[in-house]
Amino acid sequence: MTRLMAAEFFKLRKRMMTWVVAILMVGLVILLYSILWSVSGHVTTFGENNQFTGQDLRRALFLQASVPFSLQVVAAFGTIFAMILAAGAVGSEYSWGTVRLMATAASGRVRLLASKLLVVCGLVVVGTLLAVAVGLIYSSIITVTNGGSSLSFITPGFVRDQVESLGRTLFVMAPYVTLAFAMAAIGRSTLAGVGAGLGIAFIEPLINGLMRLGGSPWKDIPNYLINANTDVVLLQNKVPDVIRFGPTTQDLARNHVNGVPEAMLILALYSAAFIAVAFLVYRRRDITA
Amino acid sequence: MSEGREVLRTEGLWKRYGRITAVADISLQVFDAEVFSFLGPNGSGKSTTVGMILGLVRPTRGRALVFGADMAVHPWPTLKRIGAVIETPAFYPYLSGRDNLRALALALGDIPSARIDGVLETVGLSDRARDPYRTYSLGMKQRLGIASTLLRDPDLIILDEPTNGLDPAGTREVRELIPRLAQEGRAVFLCSHLLHEVEAVSDRVAILKKGELVAQGTVDELLGRGRYLRLQAEDRSLLVRALGNVPWVSGLEQHDGYVRVAVPANKAAELNRALASQGVYVSELAPSETELEKVFLELTGEEVEP
Repeated sequence: MTRLMAAEFFKLRKRMMTWVVAILMVGLVILLYSILWSVSGHVTTFGENNQFTGQDLRRALFLQASVPFSLQVVAAFGTIFAMILAAGAVGSEYSWGTVRLMATAASGRVRLLASKLLVVCGLVVVGTLLAVAVGLIYSSIITVTNGGSSLSFITPGFVRDQVESLGRTLFVMAPYVTLAFAMAAIGRSTLAGVGAGLGIAFIEPLINGLMRLGGSPWKDIPNYLINANTDVVLLQNKVPDVIRFGPTTQDLARNHVNGVPEAMLILALYSAAFIAVAFLVYRRRDITA
Repeated sequence: MSEGREVLRTEGLWKRYGRITAVADISLQVFDAEVFSFLGPNGSGKSTTVGMILGLVRPTRGRALVFGADMAVHPWPTLKRIGAVIETPAFYPYLSGRDNLRALALALGDIPSARIDGVLETVGLSDRARDPYRTYSLGMKQRLGIASTLLRDPDLIILDEPTNGLDPAGTREVRELIPRLAQEGRAVFLCSHLLHEVEAVSDRVAILKKGELVAQGTVDELLGRGRYLRLQAEDRSLLVRALGNVPWVSGLEQHDGYVRVAVPANKAAELNRALASQGVYVSELAPSETELEKVFLELTGEEVEP
């Protein structure tokens, strides 16, 4: 298993796509920080009810909120890159015809697929940490240049919060990554994986909105899908409202969403189901090309 | 040839895809230190059979045993002893030739980097080893495919059309390499439609038609070497009549310009005497050999590529 993971890591490390998605991820964090910094200097008030000021926005870019903000960017955009990485790791083997080469070199198909999944997960974690690190650096510069150099907010509780935020973000990315991975394995192409992943990521929120408006029994269905539960879990990350992308606590309360444990259970079940289907199909199916 | 240690055996191997039978009841044996050629037109089931031998395709019925292991049940660690290139070689286009072998070596384990350099040297790819695979010509891809099979120092080598795309010099090198691999004690399972290639390098041949094995044996057996005599005489009708009078002559066939009979080559002198005693003097009496191309055509009804 270790040698298969070494081979998978070697292939992904040498692949341009891996570096491109990493650079895009880092670039997005830098870009968003830069835009928000610029906006904070140009607006006096903004928001639905003009409830935020430019100063609120500037303070939100300080070091205290750096980790949850970077993780929010990862959850919103990094999930897409992670899906591309996961689908590409499996699907490209079919398009290049290398699936047979590796299948005859691997000590079992399950191990081969498991090594791919583990390496992809590892790279997603590394990419997330990279985005957080870049966010911390950029935020430190903003904080220091605006006279907020005190680090007194760093307490054990604060550190634990940041680690939990990281865990939650990776946890909500898992169903999307495993979906893309499974669909690429089943559809024998990168496109099938990326298409399915992006389809669910973008279409599900729209469908959910319609179902919420449809009354019973439609309105409860989104609680069993991925997106609504992702929102519930991500809301636990302490991102200041002024820079929050997703729905607010009030929005979720209005929709009678699941509690955090239920949401996490549903997301875990989706991830497990996608992994199980991928392994089942890959283990049993003939490898013909 | 004397049979060595059995390396590969298929027992009544079948593969069906719905109503289509891709492979039907294939039973064959391959021994170490021999070149076994698997001949058949496109779509005859060669690649499907190889897929079953490698455990990539599950047989509908029957089994493929390599070194005694059922490849549908326990392909590993037997796969470690097999080097295979199925159909066209396939590698990672963004990796260099060397890095492709390195990725494979990492997956296989216990392969030193010196071995990678060694096999690249063997197939003559050292100069281009650091160039991306996507820039390789078809011939270079074939060479890398052969290098990948040698990487694990296999006991069984499966090569599918190994000279496809190679220039004449490369083709000659590969044709020299194949028997050499067998001489080193390896079994070589060669899939090809190039009959002169098969005839030149093979010890035994199996011919496949629409998924069924239509002939199997040594090249000599298939070509009827030593079993037929070819005769010519000034008066052909007299020759045919005289041959008819020899009781142990059978299988008389008349061809353009000569007559062929099923008589072993070692009885040529005796036949000559029998004909002379009837006043028939032959202008030619020689062992008759059928070309593999003719055998293939007769058995498969296919056109042969030059």
